[in-house]
Amino acid sequence: MRRSNHRFSGTVGSLLLVAGMVITGQAAAAEDPISAGKKLAFDRKKGNCLACHHIEGGTLMGNIAPPLVAMKHRFPDKAKLREQIWDATKNNPRSIMPPFGKHRILSEKEIDLVTEFIYSL
Amino acid sequence: MMKKTIISVGLALLIAGCSASQPEKPMSLKEQYEAALARTQAAVEKAASMEGEWRDIRWKKSKKRYLPKAIEAAKAGDYEKALKLLSIAEFQAEMGYKQAMAEKNAGPHLYGL
Amino acid sequence: MRKIATLLLSAGLVASATTAIASSPKEDLEKFRAYFEQKFPGLQLDDFGNGAYALDADKRMQWEAMEEFPPYDEFVDKGREIWEKPFKNGKSFADCFGKDPSKVRVRYPHWDAKTKQVVTLEGDINKCLKENGEKPFKWKKGPIAWLSAFFGYEARGQKINVVIPDDPDAIKAYEHGKHFFYAKRGQLNMACADCHVKYPGHFIRGNLLSPALGQVTHFPVYRAKWAKKSKDGDGLGTLHRRYGGCNKQVRARPFKAQSKVYRDLEFFHQYMSNGLTINAPGYRE
Ligand code: HEC
Ligand code: HEC
Repeated sequence: MRRSNHRFSGTVGSLLLVAGMVITGQAAAAEDPISAGKKLAFDRKKGNCLACHHIEGGTLMGNIAPPLVAMKHRFPDKAKLREQIWDATKNNPRSIMPPFGKHRILSEKEIDLVTEFIYSL
Repeated sequence: MMKKTIISVGLALLIAGCSASQPEKPMSLKEQYEAALARTQAAVEKAASMEGEWRDIRWKKSKKRYLPKAIEAAKAGDYEKALKLLSIAEFQAEMGYKQAMAEKNAGPHLYGL
Repeated sequence: MRKIATLLLSAGLVASATTAIASSPKEDLEKFRAYFEQKFPGLQLDDFGNGAYALDADKRMQWEAMEEFPPYDEFVDKGREIWEKPFKNGKSFADCFGKDPSKVRVRYPHWDAKTKQVVTLEGDINKCLKENGEKPFKWKKGPIAWLSAFFGYEARGQKINVVIPDDPDAIKAYEHGKHFFYAKRGQLNMACADCHVKYPGHFIRGNLLSPALGQVTHFPVYRAKWAKKSKDGDGLGTLHRRYGGCNKQVRARPFKAQSKVYRDLEFFHQYMSNGLTINAPGYRE
């Protein structure tokens, strides 16, 4: 009883979470996804992609990783790009790139936005 | 406001659902919290035993300190907030442990040395 | 199918792990040094002791200008005063470390066969204080860093010479430190080796990453960043203070200074710089 009860409340919890995300998602949608994604990508406490990547419009950029340009060409399939951002260790287990989704450094919604931005480069 | 409504609807459903099918009392938020706390604490110790604990779970200088802040929230009676914070702490503890297990054989050979 | 793949994979991992453990400290050191010499063919061995400044001409110029009037001098002097000041019981640090302060730094870290642990310079400083009825120093900065910097300064020109004895427990401590160095950790999933073996010479944001070879020769270090944070411009900090900083920036929980983990890490880390010239304390950004 206890156990099933707990599982049930878990589902309620995730439903609530989804509801919450939809609400914040809507607030963010007021801004266009590409500029919202850019903010997240440049923010040191969020994506901090500039620590390693060169991205047009950035400052104080690192040079550990390939510059992010012509992304539609590199990743014709947007889902593949999202996967790279979600968990870079899937392609390269020793990658220094943080697994943003797998380790919940960014939320799913945030990863969507960052993907939109990177895809636009 | 909106959230509160959903929660109470959810709770109502929960209580209704359980009492309909089961004679026992459902788990109160407090009981859920206590169970989650015990689980999280065990998960954190497990991660720490592998040197795999992450920064923001309970380290005193972290601004986030999900675990101690969950305990504070529960002391103030806010079990919903406590449960939310615990779920983050538990996730991070589990991932820290998994990471440490995955890195068990880490060494210079992985860097071509 | 998947199961078979996993099995094969784990077999592979086990095999490579055995090779990793089978290598002796001496073999590790040779490979480690050869790797960096190949990566930076223009550098002499001792250049590595200058960290990132050995890799970038502009930064090196600024740094050399700083070293003309080193901001750490006054703290080395404070360290000397601590060395010279007798304890309340009439004894002094010389009763613990010997009369010649220039002979202290090179003995650390070392393996203590009796207590079966790695002993660090800072550890022995506080041990000496306690044994003489004095209050121990705080571990990461302040008087402990001043005195340690004084010992380093007096030892300038001598070479790092860490000995890993052929004792299974000492090897275990060394292997522990080595594993810690190469294992990814924290929410950002990075190993010390990711930044300081794989990518030295690259910029992470505005920071030029230093090679792990030579990272310990100038510790305790005087950092401009630490000086800014302190009230009196004291930017000196110990090696374990730096370890903590590098752990928390990958969002791993830092360990306590002088914990077993960090002492074992230091054992490995300093050993990898054997043969390099001590140039402590150093100035860094
Ligand atoms: C700590 C360094 C680091 C950070 C931070 C980082 N990356 Fe990376 N990234 C890399 C490296 C290194 C690679 C090269 C592939 C590899 O080694 O895994 C890479 C590869 C990529 C690729 C594939 C590029 C290609 O052409 O194949 C994409 C896309 C990417 N990163 C996006 C991002 C985004 C978006 C962010 C921020 C949310 C980010 N990265 C943050 C290090 C980093
Ligand atoms: C995200 C990358 C990153 C990781 C991972 C990392 N460090 Fe660092 N570390 C830095 C940066 C940046 C600096 C400052 C620039 C420099 O000197 O390399 C630094 C500096 C240092 C220094 C001082 C170097 C000097 O010349 O004064 C030491 C020692 C050091 N790190 C050790 C470690 C150890 C040990 C670990 C693992 C526990 C580690 N680092 C992990 C980025 C990293």
